[in-house]
Amino acid sequence: MYLTRSEEKALGGEYGEALESAYRVLLAMGRLSDAKRLIPIKWAHVSGVSYLTIGDYGLDFLQRISKIRGTKFKVFTTVNPCGMDIENWDRLEIPPEYAEKQLKIINAYQKLGIASSFTCVPFQSYPVPPKGTHVSWAESSAAIFANSILDIRTNRESAVSALASALTGKTVYSDLHIDKNRKSTFAVRVKLPKEKELKGSVDYGVLGYYSGKHAKGVIEFQGIKAARSLSESKALCAAIGTVGSSGMFKVGRSKGLETIDFTQKEYDETFDEISDSETGDAIVFGCPQMTIEELYELSKGLEGKHFKKKCIVFCSSKVYDLAKSRGYADDIEKAGATFVRDSCADFTPLISSLKVDSVVTDSAKGAHYMKRVHSVKVALKDTETILRENMI
Amino acid sequence: MKQRKDSSSTATFDQNVIKARCIVETPKEIKAEVLFSPSPIAFLQGVDPEKGVVCDRKHEIFDQPFTNKILVFPNAVGSSVGAYVIYRLEKNRKAPKAMINQTSDIITASGCALSGIPLFDMPSESFERLANAGKVTINAKAQITINSRKKSKN
Repeated sequence: MYLTRSEEKALGGEYGEALESAYRVLLAMGRLSDAKRLIPIKWAHVSGVSYLTIGDYGLDFLQRISKIRGTKFKVFTTVNPCGMDIENWDRLEIPPEYAEKQLKIINAYQKLGIASSFTCVPFQSYPVPPKGTHVSWAESSAAIFANSILDIRTNRESAVSALASALTGKTVYSDLHIDKNRKSTFAVRVKLPKEKELKGSVDYGVLGYYSGKHAKGVIEFQGIKAARSLSESKALCAAIGTVGSSGMFKVGRSKGLETIDFTQKEYDETFDEISDSETGDAIVFGCPQMTIEELYELSKGLEGKHFKKKCIVFCSSKVYDLAKSRGYADDIEKAGATFVRDSCADFTPLISSLKVDSVVTDSAKGAHYMKRVHSVKVALKDTETILRENMI
Repeated sequence: MKQRKDSSSTATFDQNVIKARCIVETPKEIKAEVLFSPSPIAFLQGVDPEKGVVCDRKHEIFDQPFTNKILVFPNAVGSSVGAYVIYRLEKNRKAPKAMINQTSDIITASGCALSGIPLFDMPSESFERLANAGKVTINAKAQITINSRKKSKN
């Protein structure tokens, strides 16, 4: 891979240990994909924020680089949700030992310079750059959304490679950054009965889960509507990223691609694989974190009723503030739901502290992780059904 | 008949020399014993960085120390945060001297790059030749020489 003179110097350690480590990571990434060079990026989105995922190992590394004098992120950097509501953790049954470590991680990132919200839907909270812009995003659901919906370009970065991009302002020029690699390579043909049109986050989550598992490269969906709601697209991207390696999808009708079918049979089998309970003892909304549109829809669906069981709503602090100013947050809180800001349903100790055996959610990704991380059973249902069954 | 030879076919002319692709280079020659794993490794939750072993009971190389050896495995699986486990291995002085993959991945590559652990990968037929390797030498040109074979167990 070609490196400029200043990149060579950084790699040789002339600009300090943090940049040296970052360029070493980029060089290894470049060799992995046989890239020719690095390119500048406008936005890095870094994952690996919850203490539940990175543990003491990640914490050590972040503390070390954040203490090196003068080490700052070079480009606009957002970070994934952490493991708790930073202002309300003590009211929300988060163990203090966990909180202490989580706050250290947050401090390290803040020293390096990050945007204020901890979010897995960064495109909701911050202005999206023009089409074609190169960015470096970890968090698979956001990266797939960036390529497929926003038409900005990123590979599916890891916690460490996105961190290297944040420190250097660069990424490897390979794969989905290059035009010719953004063409469909694999088709998923959706063939459902006429009366069964895909609708809502559950249906799109099931489609994404099946496709992510079986498709490779750039997925082309055939036979689904091009105009989906934000919520449907978000669910589709999140589910693809949960179980697969694909970083982008399109909607089209190309011929001659390797093709698999998604019929009622695949729908039912995939649904049963994700959902292993009929009901849930608690309700979880917001995996990925809820958007302002989804909070509006939720507030509208409440009809002045009250939740019969614990209901937790995950969103970023920025989206929460907006929902507060528009009155949606008050309506949702009055119905008895609890907001958890800047945190992640999958990687917060909160779900385990609820001490419930089962959870109901509208998210295929959330179901996948909550089953594995918190050992609960999960019922997958759309928001409308959840409200109908759980409110008085 | 005269055939044009590229560098890799010249290198593999000797049965005991394998030409690898370098992902993280080694500044000097490394000589060490191979620990070969036919299955992928999940670093997060599958490796104990305090002991330098694979801690998944179902894994073929469960509990076999890889510290200061050359750890050979097809690729990493699981969370990308596994890179920080590799970093921790190095800080604990429990890391292997080098790693060799069949097809390297973002987890192993970023972890090794961060920690300065040399890393190489190679086509599957070469990879399989390492299954019964004893000691190997890796030089700065990413050439791997098999110095001895493992003694068969029976």
